[in-house]
Amino acid sequence: MAVNFNKQNDVSFIPSFFKKISEYIKSTTVWKSIFRVGYPDTMPKRMAVMRSSFYMHIFPTKVGIHGMKLKYGWCMGGITFFLFLLLSITGVILMFYYIPEEHRAYNDMKDLRYMVPYGVVLRNMHRWGAHGMVFTIILHMIRVFYTGSYKPPRQFNWIIGVLLLTITLLLSFTGYLLPWDQLGFWAVTVGTNMASSTPLIGYEGPFSKYLGIQIDNDIRFALIGGTRIGPNALIRAYVWHCIGLPLIATALMVFHFWRVRKDGFSGPM
Amino acid sequence: MDKENEFEKRVSRRKFFNIAGWTGFCTFLGSSGAAGARFFYPKVLYEPASTFNAGKPEDYTAPTGNEQVVVDERWKKSQRVWIARNREGIYATVALCTHLGCTPNWFPAEVRFKCPCHGSNFNPDGEVVAGPAPEPLYRAKIELAPDGSMIVTTGLLGIRRANLQAQKKTLGTFWTKEEKEIIWKPPYFLELKA
Repeated sequence: MAVNFNKQNDVSFIPSFFKKISEYIKSTTVWKSIFRVGYPDTMPKRMAVMRSSFYMHIFPTKVGIHGMKLKYGWCMGGITFFLFLLLSITGVILMFYYIPEEHRAYNDMKDLRYMVPYGVVLRNMHRWGAHGMVFTIILHMIRVFYTGSYKPPRQFNWIIGVLLLTITLLLSFTGYLLPWDQLGFWAVTVGTNMASSTPLIGYEGPFSKYLGIQIDNDIRFALIGGTRIGPNALIRAYVWHCIGLPLIATALMVFHFWRVRKDGFSGPM
Repeated sequence: MDKENEFEKRVSRRKFFNIAGWTGFCTFLGSSGAAGARFFYPKVLYEPASTFNAGKPEDYTAPTGNEQVVVDERWKKSQRVWIARNREGIYATVALCTHLGCTPNWFPAEVRFKCPCHGSNFNPDGEVVAGPAPEPLYRAKIELAPDGSMIVTTGLLGIRRANLQAQKKTLGTFWTKEEKEIIWKPPYFLELKA
């Protein structure tokens, strides 16, 4: 006796009343305008879903099964992006309580830890998320290197990735000053003093004295807005950390993902 | 063919506008970029003044017994300067590590300044005795005001650095002979009659 695969004869436990409602909802214009392709039961339909959905369109329309394996991609790029989103959200919430002013910054950070409801959770999510993002972006880079995913046609995306790594480190560095504690203060003192040794544009770097570069017109001066770490340095770190660098990072990420989508996932080893 | 036509052939109208357009566009981008960069260099700073009144020389204790120098830390927090008094007079050392700009601490028992960041050690003259610091601690100008109090200048114009001399090619961690003749004389050293 042949097995009948005809849908009409399938035993269904859903009452026909609900079936009718669901069929009606699926026939409405609202439903059809959101879910345009229908049930993706064929390859062209599956690819059409990836193409037409906003959330899915950052992925390639077709991914080899090897690329989906956790042991191949480690999911580190995805985790890094997830952490970036997490840091953006928690960061914006922290901005409601934190004032980047010499006499307020440290106390506001302490308030976030001890006085603001759930402040300690938010601050720790932001802090550990930031550490995690540096960690995962480096693992992502290592994975890309070991799987040879930087090779043609993906060379350009490697460059974008290196820029994103730099931006991530700069975000980490600028965020380090914001608690305005001894640790961050001296770390930024040391870090920005390194910039003063830049050739040509740092006042202690080689050849800079031929250009008339001094402590009050070199690159360090532009970074910290003064000759010493003070309120100017704090507000500059804050603006770069909260607005400037995230915007640049977002633009580069859009480009990074778009290239992944165009080039597809790299092949198996 | 007359000359005018020849010119027109070489530089066509299209080519001319192409060059003019791109020149204008690049000039706009370049000047906007320069203006954007200039924006990050403030013209007015609200930083502490680079001079301060450090009081009378008598306010600072003279070395006694085996001591060669007494380092006074009362201005360290507010002005970032140590006032040191030795047997001949008074001088001011900037409390700024020449390595990467941390604030060293004074250890009287060991007669040394030590930087907590990367472990540079300096003797009371400011010379490097250990660690990564590339040059001695800076000296600040110290001058007597008419009322007998000392005016210390710590800003860019006041400090004395070992490598300021253009003729000197390599950085020294000790004061050279020529530099010693400068730092142990006014305005970097205030001689006191015993």
